[in-house]
Amino acid sequence: METNGSRREFLKRTGLASGGLIVGLNFLESCVGEIVQNNTFPNLEPLQVLENGFDSIGAIEITDFLQIRPDGHIFLNLTKYEMGQGVSTGLSSILAEELEADWEKIHVRYIKSSVSESDTTGGSTSTLLHWDLLRRAGAFTKLLLIDAAAKQWTVYKDQCYAENGYVHQHGSNLKLGYGELVGSIVVPKDYRTLFAEVPLKYKSNFKLIGKNLKSKIIPDIVTGKHPFSIDVRLPKMKYAAVLRCPVFKGQLINFDSTEALNISGVEQIVPIKLDTSDNIRDGIAVIANSTWAAFQGKLALKAKWDLGVNAGVEHGKFVADCYKKLTIDEGTETLSIGKFDESEADEFISHSYEFPYQHHACMEPLNATSHFKGDSCEMWVGTQSADKIITNIEKHLGIPKERIKINCHPSGGGFGLRYSSEYALESMVVSKAAGGELVKMCYSREDDIKFDHLNPFELNKHRIGLKNGKPLSWELKSVMANWGGVLGWMYYNIPKLSASQIMVEGFTQVGAWRSVMANAEGFSTECFIDEVAHELNRDPLEFRLSLLPRNAMVDFKHSYKCNISRLRGALELVAKRGHWGKTMSKSSGQGIAVYPYMHGNGYGATVAEVAIVNDMIKVTKVTTAIDCGLVVNPDQVKQQAEGGVVWALSAIFYGGTEYIDGVVERSNFHDNKVLRIDETPEIEVHICQNDEPQPWGVGEVAGPPTYAAVCNAIYAATGKRVRKLPIARTYSQL
Amino acid sequence: MAIIQLTINNEKYEGEFDTNMPLLWALRDAIGLTGTKFGCGIAQCGACTVLLDGKAIRSCGITVQSSIGKDIQTIEGVEDSMYRSLQQAWIEEQVPQCGYCQSGQIMSAIGLIKSNPNPTEKQILDAMSGNICRCGTYPRILKAIKSFIKSNP
Ligand code: FES
Ligand code: FES
Repeated sequence: METNGSRREFLKRTGLASGGLIVGLNFLESCVGEIVQNNTFPNLEPLQVLENGFDSIGAIEITDFLQIRPDGHIFLNLTKYEMGQGVSTGLSSILAEELEADWEKIHVRYIKSSVSESDTTGGSTSTLLHWDLLRRAGAFTKLLLIDAAAKQWTVYKDQCYAENGYVHQHGSNLKLGYGELVGSIVVPKDYRTLFAEVPLKYKSNFKLIGKNLKSKIIPDIVTGKHPFSIDVRLPKMKYAAVLRCPVFKGQLINFDSTEALNISGVEQIVPIKLDTSDNIRDGIAVIANSTWAAFQGKLALKAKWDLGVNAGVEHGKFVADCYKKLTIDEGTETLSIGKFDESEADEFISHSYEFPYQHHACMEPLNATSHFKGDSCEMWVGTQSADKIITNIEKHLGIPKERIKINCHPSGGGFGLRYSSEYALESMVVSKAAGGELVKMCYSREDDIKFDHLNPFELNKHRIGLKNGKPLSWELKSVMANWGGVLGWMYYNIPKLSASQIMVEGFTQVGAWRSVMANAEGFSTECFIDEVAHELNRDPLEFRLSLLPRNAMVDFKHSYKCNISRLRGALELVAKRGHWGKTMSKSSGQGIAVYPYMHGNGYGATVAEVAIVNDMIKVTKVTTAIDCGLVVNPDQVKQQAEGGVVWALSAIFYGGTEYIDGVVERSNFHDNKVLRIDETPEIEVHICQNDEPQPWGVGEVAGPPTYAAVCNAIYAATGKRVRKLPIARTYSQL
Repeated sequence: MAIIQLTINNEKYEGEFDTNMPLLWALRDAIGLTGTKFGCGIAQCGACTVLLDGKAIRSCGITVQSSIGKDIQTIEGVEDSMYRSLQQAWIEEQVPQCGYCQSGQIMSAIGLIKSNPNPTEKQILDAMSGNICRCGTYPRILKAIKSFIKSNP
């Protein structure tokens, strides 16, 4: 595929796109001929797009997003990666709304990315970033279709209107289907202005947005046809597994492959080595005729490693050092609002909270299929960042960006892990080392756990200064294992706010993990404020509300200002719907918490109920309220919130990791446990009514307040404070 | 290696297999029925669940050799079976998110209903507790199974 300059430019010059959006645009291939079910393998051949934007079969491609075919079926090229968060459905409904399309005829396609301006997906930002662009693309295309119909009927444009996939003529029965019109669409010379100024619908006229439209991908999922990259099957494809250095940044000294080569199905064994700057570990790749044979071959390999510096890291000592640093190290200041003189306070309350390393354990183990062809290459992969993959292939293998083609597949969970690109790069390196074989490289679950990019360990110390029970100052100091930085979303109205961070070197690679640092900070902040409320004999809800003045906006120098009214609204709603303050039976209790998610400008609040039953700590109910701005699809918002709650519960009870001599001890789901259906409480999700003009983030909003709500409920039930995760499953071990 | 015949979704498949290979990999890599998923390889996650003579089993934990002569049903066969309406219930309740665990969830649910057409909530939870869903779709899985049972008493 070549880059079509004029159409790229089209989007660039409209001036609609913020910087982020342009980076966010993929140049997408079109696809062929006859209508195929969306998402069907094998990948379709690219369709020639001619100068004027029309292709050889008379379909038209409007912008990079959209293709309307002569039979009226409409294909949306997803510019965001589907990993279960629902972009396929949410984004297509936004487009279909303005296009006045027939929802049943909308299909989604996945990105085939061959340029450097690929996208990343994360931070709960897909919908909010594409909201305006998709609406305009839909409205603009609708105008072109109306134009085409008006010409055919030789009437004025304003005598025509579009509805449900047809252009109609007012006052007559005449109508033309979108498919019938594509052949006569004329893109006007001033299309850029038209695109920029195209009128958009009023909220009150929305037909699709705000409705519980059914997912576009679920029908394929329930029949086993959803095209995960792990399911790719290509002619002459081989299977690969890699034995990696167990310690981060260790090196391969030598290996013996004699036994491995004797395993039936094993064809080749090749060492993998790159500079470690992009986290590729030294390894040995086994190429075989099935995944199973490759896994067996790997088990039979004998390797000698120089384990390097991280082999000496000991967790107990690491944690003790972090606590020490917290007391002696000043840290780097990241937030300072207001003034405060220590002598003004008559009392200080301070506690520290430990949030452990966390594993992703996405259900689809990492995998990528790669074909190294010398001066070009092609890959099939589920990712959150094709851009990073392309950049890294260019950097390490010297293939120019234009000659790298990435076929992006939906992922079996991303949760931040698929931001990192080394599994993809590694598979290309394996293909190269194997002499240009087309290989599907798949992690075993053990690989996926041991070589995970862990959520970093984070230790937070909060300290509040009070005078006559009134908070005057609030400090947060954070120690974090080499990733990110303290968020410092300190939303309570206290005259002096300050945050600082201390970075420490952990034992392994870390990365984004659903809700990122909002997990640790949501947990610590909301457990702490609860402790303060109790120490001051205040009701935890009433105390919080007293520090959340309506209409305030707080600037944390983050993407968005924190809207205290919305935050407060979520808290009030959850208190009401979660029946805050109701009488609980013995050995059970309620906990409440609220937290903003400023990457996506969403706000979440939670009431959790916990009961101690036969010594087991049971979360019996979780009620969540979410303010995510304008709601595109209420049911999908609820899905995401349910998922966020389950995610947090897994981390509360089973999170963390153990390592000895730099080697992760956990290996599979028997020791890296996650929540199962029989431990899942009733989850109730409520969506806040609001007047926001656009949708905001959803996917990472519900998790952060869940931790503290549960821990505060444990306190209410047992009188024991939790200041460290994960917690024991039983009360007696708490 | 041996020439082996397997009966999958009422069709015969013949090929040369490593008889020690888990059924999971024979289905996915050799035969190309990729709807059955690999999640853990040690019978801990349920992603690879298929029916063997009507019983839900983890296909990562059984060899090709032991599957010979058995009636193997995978997710690909469900549409043409009486459990199509269970898939409908899954759509109705909008269960899946990423979808990766869902073939296994559906096969486990079919296994349960076959052996116990009217399970209690506790029995549903027990039967489904071998299937992990990292996206957290558990509440909806429960709802979908309940609604199927209600409309197929
Ligand atoms: S892959 Fe078989 S149970 Fe997990
Ligand atoms: S739907 Fe994603 S793991 Fe279950």
